[in-house]
Amino acid sequence: MKLLLNLCIIFCAKVCFAQIDSLQTDTIKEEDFSMYENFDFADEGAKRFCTPKVFDLSPAKLIWFGYDHQGGFDLSSDTLIDSDRTWSPGNSSFKGAGGIRAGANIPIVSRTNIVVQGGFNLWRINYSGAKNIGVNPLANTLSQNGLTTMGLMATVFKPLNDRRFIIAQGNADLNGDYQFNNIIPLQYARYSAAALYGIKTNDRKMIAFGISRTYRVGEINYIPIMLLNWTHINRKWGVEMLAPARAQIRRSFSPRKLLFFGYELEGNSYRILNNTELGLRHYELRRGELRFRFIWEQSIYKFIWLSVQAGYRYDYAFDVDQFPNDKEFFRGFFGNQPYKMENALGGTWYSFVSLNLVSP
Amino acid sequence: MRNLLFLISVLLVPVFGISQDAESDRLTGIWEPSNGKARVKIEKIGAKYYGKIVWLKEPNDPTTNQPKVDKNNEDESLRNTPLRGYRLLKDFVYKGKDEWSDGTIYDPENGSTYKSNIKMKDANTLEIRGYIGVEALGRTDVWKRLEVKK
Repeated sequence: MKLLLNLCIIFCAKVCFAQIDSLQTDTIKEEDFSMYENFDFADEGAKRFCTPKVFDLSPAKLIWFGYDHQGGFDLSSDTLIDSDRTWSPGNSSFKGAGGIRAGANIPIVSRTNIVVQGGFNLWRINYSGAKNIGVNPLANTLSQNGLTTMGLMATVFKPLNDRRFIIAQGNADLNGDYQFNNIIPLQYARYSAAALYGIKTNDRKMIAFGISRTYRVGEINYIPIMLLNWTHINRKWGVEMLAPARAQIRRSFSPRKLLFFGYELEGNSYRILNNTELGLRHYELRRGELRFRFIWEQSIYKFIWLSVQAGYRYDYAFDVDQFPNDKEFFRGFFGNQPYKMENALGGTWYSFVSLNLVSP
Repeated sequence: MRNLLFLISVLLVPVFGISQDAESDRLTGIWEPSNGKARVKIEKIGAKYYGKIVWLKEPNDPTTNQPKVDKNNEDESLRNTPLRGYRLLKDFVYKGKDEWSDGTIYDPENGSTYKSNIKMKDANTLEIRGYIGVEALGRTDVWKRLEVKK
């Protein structure tokens, strides 16, 4: 009886728990794959949706941390006439400017029919080696306090079918001459947004048009925008563009080594609150920069990428507005409201190095 | 009597085992990722589940007019492996409650392998998540079951 029991146990073990080791190779013996041509969805109502990527698009960054550095430059300031004082035109200079740039952009919802990403960004600009800043309260506050941006962002990619899609994006940024131990009130946050409608014609091209409310030129503006992500059929060259904010040509040496050349327009409106002379007078610095650059991006370990930018920074805008009744106002391209203070920032070389965790 | 009860309990093991297999084997079949560029056959080998490409929307490389190969693989010796027939889902184990995990998914577009798990939303829908390290840092793709055209 005991022997019979043992035999039963052994037989059952063989039937239930026989295993084959995981395959050691990816190659499969020849199979007739033509039989898989004639298949369709089991669910009658199932739909196909396009994805937000084209071939060889640079990987989306989930988390990044880097340092931005600019070389020396001059700051030329025009007259500033305030209620109880006048500052004459003057020239200041800085030996350099730079600071940490960090952020994250994480998929919150990642489905076939909708992708929602949320994140934050943190920029810090320290202005160092200042000369002759006494002539200019703006130069003074830049030297003493620098500039900081802290922002939240959200992006939605909504495919409508296998070709058409909608993109919507929103940002809230708190910009000013503050440091992390004296953050300015949230009432000074600035909001920007964009919406685009587009078509993905094939796996190598997607194009979209839309409109944006933006502070990229330093002050609020409403402008048309265009998205183009395109890869040449040879898979070596491509274009990644969100005009007029940025555009670049891409050269792919491999899926893990990419070279870019292009430009980016960056900027925002910064509340000047921590300068004793200007702090309570509702001044905002309208900062806009145009950066022409080369970018090298490379995977250094699996999904950790190194990005190195080098280029030239032109001053697009560096003027100061005073808000009547402390309310934001719209000037646009055709408004003639005078600036409270007009400045010109000298151009300079810059570099930006970052480590990035990229998305699957 | 004791021996008889023991024998019965041992013989019931394969009964429950078969029920568990039926539940986990619902993963097998032909599936299509959301981009519609390929069809993947998921099959069971031993106690694990694997998925291989059995159809490509564009089977040939437009620059060479030859069948597409795994040219982006980090291992140079595998870069001539045909994509049709390539096993891109590996080592998934059924964990119960319509979930398979401990597997990996390979992306031939960039030659990267990600940790992955699979959830069956219904009999004809899978959510396949590929991630880096933690599940929060990843992306989910919805795969739909295919059947022979009627």
